[in-house]
Amino acid sequence: MKNEPSFDHRPDPELGAALRAALEPKDDHKAFAARVMAQYERALDRASVPTLDVLASWFRPGIAAAVAALILGFLFGRTVLAPEPASFDTAMAPLEGRGLADLVTSQDPPDASVVFSSLVEQR
Amino acid sequence: MGAGGGAQPPAGAARMGSSEDDKSLITKTLAGEREAFGSLVERYAPQARRVARAVLGDPDDADDAAQDGFLSALVKLAQYDTRRPFGPWLMRIVANAATDRRRRRNVRQAEPLDAALVGGGPRPDVVAMRSELSARLRTALGELPERRRTAVVLFDVEGYSHAEIAGILGIPEGTVRSEVFHARRRLRTLLADWKEQVK
Repeated sequence: MKNEPSFDHRPDPELGAALRAALEPKDDHKAFAARVMAQYERALDRASVPTLDVLASWFRPGIAAAVAALILGFLFGRTVLAPEPASFDTAMAPLEGRGLADLVTSQDPPDASVVFSSLVEQR
Repeated sequence: MGAGGGAQPPAGAARMGSSEDDKSLITKTLAGEREAFGSLVERYAPQARRVARAVLGDPDDADDAAQDGFLSALVKLAQYDTRRPFGPWLMRIVANAATDRRRRRNVRQAEPLDAALVGGGPRPDVVAMRSELSARLRTALGELPERRRTAVVLFDVEGYSHAEIAGILGIPEGTVRSEVFHARRRLRTLLADWKEQVK
């Protein structure tokens, strides 16, 4: 063992051996290595998720987004594109030709086709 | 010296295998060969456990930290520059893992010396005396600042150069020299005292 009080660039074999003995674990290094490898295997298992699970995880948000887009589209179409509600009189008025009032007040007997078309229009 | 479990030459102990072996194992590990990673772990486990224990003191904590270090190294392995030696790179990760663990657990204090050791009680056989020296050294290491004890273990036990330790600990090389010097002074005093007692 060297006792000179100076920087020494060479390892001290005696001190090194004593320290090595002091720090050496009591058990076998193979048991430790096996423990590390077991942890490694567990980490690998956690990391390797099956492909279908990955696809499913992507699929679920896709479906949710599609449903949300559908609902939004429906609401948008309903509020923006739907015609304004007509008044009751407008709704009851015939689109063309003679109306129900004319039919009732007419001197001539009504034509069957006119009666039929008037009834259909009222519905 | 007759103590410390046999005088194994620490110099060069850091090179657990040739760099070519390491490169090959690293390449295979990156390619997904689990056995290659297992070989790297077996090769560097003794060193990683000792370094972690130098930082943490407690052997169980040290093993946890060494394990964290290996798994962290695996995650970062693609970033490793294969032109540089693997040992210092790995030991830096292990030492950081140990330091992180020590911080998280709020710094375990060095265990107090056994009264029998302090009082110099009856001298049993050689094995027990070696065990006594080891206990004293662990206690002395625990009393050193963390960087100092890690530096001396990396230098005198694992055989890393000052420059490599500077890279591992992220400090200037001159600081490494100083840390090793001060640690050695303390530990050599303890060792000399113990040898006097054994005589």
